[in-house]
Amino acid sequence: MSNKENNSFGRRRFLARAGKAGIAIAGCGIASYLLYDPTGPRPGVEAEDLVTLADFSVPRKQGQTMCIVQGPDRTKTVNKVIELLGGIERFVESGDTVAIKPNVAFATPAMLGATANPELVAEVVRLCYKGGAKKVIVTDNPINDPASCFTLSGVGKAASQAGGKVVLPKTHLFKHTTLTDGRLIKNWPIFYEPFEKADKLIGISPIKHHHRAGASMSMKNWYGLLGGRRNVFHQDINTIIAELAMMVKPTLVILDGTEVMMTNGPTGGSVSDLKRANTMIASTDCVAADSYGCGLLNLKISDLPYLAKAEEAKAGTNNYKSLNPIFATIS
Amino acid sequence: MDSVPGRARHLESAVSICLLAVIFLIGIGVFIKQSDYDMSRFGISATPIEPQSQPPVLTREKKPVLTSLKPQGFDALSETEVYEPENLYEKINGKAPLYIDSGFVKLFTQRFVSESDEDLWMELFVYDMATTKNAFSVYSVQRRADADILSLFHPSNGYRTSNALYFIHGKYYIELIGSSESGELSKAMKAAAQNIQTSLVVDKAATIPELSLFPQENLIPGSTKLYLANAFGFEGLSDTFTAQYKIDGETIMVFLSEQPGITEAKTMAENYRKFLIENGAIPKKAIDQSLEGKTFDFYGTTEIVFSVGQFVVGIHEAENQQAAEKVARLFVEKFRMFTEAVSDE
Repeated sequence: MSNKENNSFGRRRFLARAGKAGIAIAGCGIASYLLYDPTGPRPGVEAEDLVTLADFSVPRKQGQTMCIVQGPDRTKTVNKVIELLGGIERFVESGDTVAIKPNVAFATPAMLGATANPELVAEVVRLCYKGGAKKVIVTDNPINDPASCFTLSGVGKAASQAGGKVVLPKTHLFKHTTLTDGRLIKNWPIFYEPFEKADKLIGISPIKHHHRAGASMSMKNWYGLLGGRRNVFHQDINTIIAELAMMVKPTLVILDGTEVMMTNGPTGGSVSDLKRANTMIASTDCVAADSYGCGLLNLKISDLPYLAKAEEAKAGTNNYKSLNPIFATIS
Repeated sequence: MDSVPGRARHLESAVSICLLAVIFLIGIGVFIKQSDYDMSRFGISATPIEPQSQPPVLTREKKPVLTSLKPQGFDALSETEVYEPENLYEKINGKAPLYIDSGFVKLFTQRFVSESDEDLWMELFVYDMATTKNAFSVYSVQRRADADILSLFHPSNGYRTSNALYFIHGKYYIELIGSSESGELSKAMKAAAQNIQTSLVVDKAATIPELSLFPQENLIPGSTKLYLANAFGFEGLSDTFTAQYKIDGETIMVFLSEQPGITEAKTMAENYRKFLIENGAIPKKAIDQSLEGKTFDFYGTTEIVFSVGQFVVGIHEAENQQAAEKVARLFVEKFRMFTEAVSDE
């Protein structure tokens, strides 16, 4: 074969191969275009495996949606708020399984006010049994060392002594949920199993300053139901708190303003972060409860955008006065 | 060019087909797996770090020293825990951004319990903030109003409350939180603080020179704070120190922010004045002529903003104009020592 023929053959082969390569590249491009997913990755849970938290609310009673009792003794004030809202029998029926969700987010002593007060939790457990409850579960999902959180806060011991069954979070107790009309809670794991068998749900939370959200009260307390890497929601804290209020329909929330963490929240650290406000709030509407509670932190309702968002989403009202709350004082 | 022998050509083709098949299978695998993506599991890596893998602070023995910092009569109640920016929220939840935005590197914590009373325990938090300035910032902005200054620390660097002790040590911001307000626990926390000061090696040369810029006369001890960014909600006013002065019975807050140069300081002062006006401030007559044009009424309080040399100086929300101007003059006089040019006057 002459050099000329060799060169000519090389060109033909080159052109043929270049053509094939071009077709391959174009094919890849078309395939990529067709496979491109503009909505991003989907979670791994199929729609049929998603769960929805039950609606634990009780029928509304005109003029008995919200109650505020002033007094220094939590045991007395919590009994009074519940009594004035119609008594524990309104909220707990004979044979009910009641889930209590206190804020036990930190492994800190009760006196710092970063967690729900153990005596208050114990008293609510006792009240539930008095109302006829068959079983009372006390549970929360602190990310860091739940056993220490329940132990050092005193909530675990107090709840157990009152007859409550303390349930610590474990992986198999979580299931994925999607909030209809939600933007953030989509295919997200929540602490579900303890609430699956419950008939009623009561939230108990202290009133605290919160560096990110402005305030941590009864709506923010539901943050503890979220599993996974939930800190991603801190980027949009107002939306997630509003969505939690949409997701959780409790029987009752108890907002403890006996001592309020005014600064350095949500962890606090010093008793000097607390101010005695001697106020106990209970409501079937957690948005209304928080709207009153923010005043104890010297905040306006407009200072907490999640209150407006929650109201807009019809999770409750931030015009708590429209509920004609009951006010009382006990010594 | 010699043609490739037929056998070799077939071998090449076979190898190529195999390689393409492998790449294709990998592609299929990636495609299937990405459908399984679960942000709640993989959103942010937050695997706790084993303390042993990276000792919190090193002694000569190269061992984690948190346990060795415990006071006499106390035992370790927990292991040393270590947190990084990715998982700090697990420990302190919504307060994590405060630290992360201030240069946080690592947190080491451990609990210690009294040998004689299990209800007496404390938790030690050692925040590595990378620099002394960062440590001072997170320390100062959280400073409690009822702080009790201890002789153990410089008044600007440490205090205690009835159940806790807070201080900075080099680049570390340290908290000792007690389970009660007992005197025994308070003594133990003080002992632990002394252990930290003697055992935890830091760069002692690293100081905060700006603190010495504040005139000491009438300065309320321990009132100095550092805002690393956006002081008073004004974007651009970074590295801003504030302090409180007691003068004529009034408490006056002053702020100080160093700029790269005289021109920049002038511009920053001017921009901050505009910001105040946009937010409702109204220029008002100054008692001191040199502060004319730099004094404002802001919803019943007095704001003064000016620059001296490369510094922006101001009075924030003073209830008494006369006292506010007196403090402002203190700074003008002090900074005249650095520069004769009171540039904004």
